[in-house]
Amino acid sequence: MSQVTLYSVAYTLSDDLLRAIGSVLPASARSWVTSSDAVTALALLVFGAILLAASMINTIVLIWWERKLLGRFMDRRGAMHVGYAGLLQNFADGLKLFRKHTFRPREADSLGFYFGPTAYLATSMMIFGLLPISSGWNAGAIPLTLLLALAIFSFAPLFIFVSAWSSNNKYSLMGGMRSAAQMIAYEVPLLLAVVAVIIVAGSFDLTTIVYEQQNYWFWGPLVVALIVFVAGMLAEMERIPFDLPEAEAELVEGWNTEYGGMLFAFFMLADYLRALVGSILVVLLFLGGWTLPSWVPGSLTSFPLAGIVWFMVKTYLVFGLFVWVRAALPRVRTDQLLRVGWNRMIPLALLSVFLAAVLVTVRCVPVFGCVPSPGV
Amino acid sequence: MTDGESAAASNPVLYVVRPMATAARQFAKSLVRPSTIVYPFERLEDPQFRGEVAVAAGKPIGVGAIWDNYRGVHALNVATCISCNLCAFSCPDLCIEMVTVPGGDPKHPKKCPEIDYGKCSYCGFCSDACPEGCLTMTTRYELATAKRAEMVYSPAKLYEVFQHKLPMNPIRLERPANEDAILLDPPLCIGCNACARDCPTQCITMLDVPKPEAKPGEKLPKRIWKEPVVNDSDCVRCGTCISVCPKECLFWGGRA
Repeated sequence: MSQVTLYSVAYTLSDDLLRAIGSVLPASARSWVTSSDAVTALALLVFGAILLAASMINTIVLIWWERKLLGRFMDRRGAMHVGYAGLLQNFADGLKLFRKHTFRPREADSLGFYFGPTAYLATSMMIFGLLPISSGWNAGAIPLTLLLALAIFSFAPLFIFVSAWSSNNKYSLMGGMRSAAQMIAYEVPLLLAVVAVIIVAGSFDLTTIVYEQQNYWFWGPLVVALIVFVAGMLAEMERIPFDLPEAEAELVEGWNTEYGGMLFAFFMLADYLRALVGSILVVLLFLGGWTLPSWVPGSLTSFPLAGIVWFMVKTYLVFGLFVWVRAALPRVRTDQLLRVGWNRMIPLALLSVFLAAVLVTVRCVPVFGCVPSPGV
Repeated sequence: MTDGESAAASNPVLYVVRPMATAARQFAKSLVRPSTIVYPFERLEDPQFRGEVAVAAGKPIGVGAIWDNYRGVHALNVATCISCNLCAFSCPDLCIEMVTVPGGDPKHPKKCPEIDYGKCSYCGFCSDACPEGCLTMTTRYELATAKRAEMVYSPAKLYEVFQHKLPMNPIRLERPANEDAILLDPPLCIGCNACARDCPTQCITMLDVPKPEAKPGEKLPKRIWKEPVVNDSDCVRCGTCISVCPKECLFWGGRA
């Protein structure tokens, strides 16, 4: 295989590993161990492990990145002492949470209480696995990747509501209800903004969408859709200014009030994993994914894994935008949130769909150039 | 969206663009150096921050202002301490205890203050009361200890602080001119010499008094025919003589 993909890396790794193991075994066992079925089975496990590790490490580094950026926005430094520039601080925090006793309120519903955070984290990981980080670096090359990812993304209110309700705490329930209302209100403009991208790109496949952006990135012509998408993502990620469900000061962390130890860490990780996924989606849909504009010198794009590197740079910059928003804006009220969602975002999203349709019809924009014919 | 509040609440320039610009400006400013001082590695009293501190305080400062009147750990010059007990006497928190230090004779041990910083309120009365200026407050403010017992600073430790030659905060109030003097009630005195013996400044001398003629039938008191005389200019008003007097014949009185 000429192109290095995530699966080819996993397959090569497990192939080498099983050959090494097989070389010390007797011949009968060796043929079984090094058979292609065994290699494929191990490769799938390695594949999953790589995705798991990538999602968790990225999430934790993302928390570090937010702490550092937010520190500078607030005229301070953020984490400094553990590891280089505090890079290991969040790993230490994670270890602390890992060692803690997981406590369940007596009146809480056991099934929902444990199912909520676990499913929340698991679905977030599923989305991360679906999104291509570079060409071929994702779990499923299915044609409807984007649709599937957004469908899984919209599971979250259910899990949040389940865990909030089963906590048997009125603040948790309030937070869960706010979360559900907010996510449903912003799901619609978010998806409509995505529709604009889909119309221009002519595909649900994220890899195709990225390659459709070879002439120009979609953020320029579809800037309305970008604004709606970013606002919707902020609401979906429950970040300031739309962090009402958590609302640290008024709702004592909202729907995760009753959670401590590793279950809280699940929520924390899932929140940031979803933030990561949101940033990745912005990069994939609007910022050209792992590609760079053609005027960029070739030496910057030709080194090994250049796609992943540039993709990650873009993702972290987009997340920096979210941090910037968090640093600048206050939390809105529920009525303001819902009013902005239904009254402003949905008309804007419909406008962006209309603009996308116009773009596909006229095919060429003065500054940006021409769209390739859809569905190529 | 008819009411003004709602219209203002959805004004994107006012509620989104302007705060974002402000945050971006702050970000750019603090990229070079945030305002925070990395405390254990840098300190506000470092010379390079004096200017910043002056700006924060809103007035120019130099050496001797703002910082140098800070009331921190005490410095004790054990060599000049006269064991007068005034610091312990003036302490409102009763955190000073006079403990024996080497340097006195066996009969009159030298006692210096030992300060419990678990109780100290840093009022500076002790430093004010010290007649010799040997107990002063310094600008040292790092008092965190691992054990509660370590909060008690022995005279040796206080002397160590003194040796660091930190900026001292000499809290010395002017003493009023009509301050009390030590007075004697002569008929009660038995001339026992306890006051002169324990006076930290040796300002009390025992002078002979004439032994009166005994009238017939009268019994003279059994005593030494001497009386203390206080050298007022040397007296530090520590009251040691009053507290050691067995007959309670010395007392505070108005200046003669």
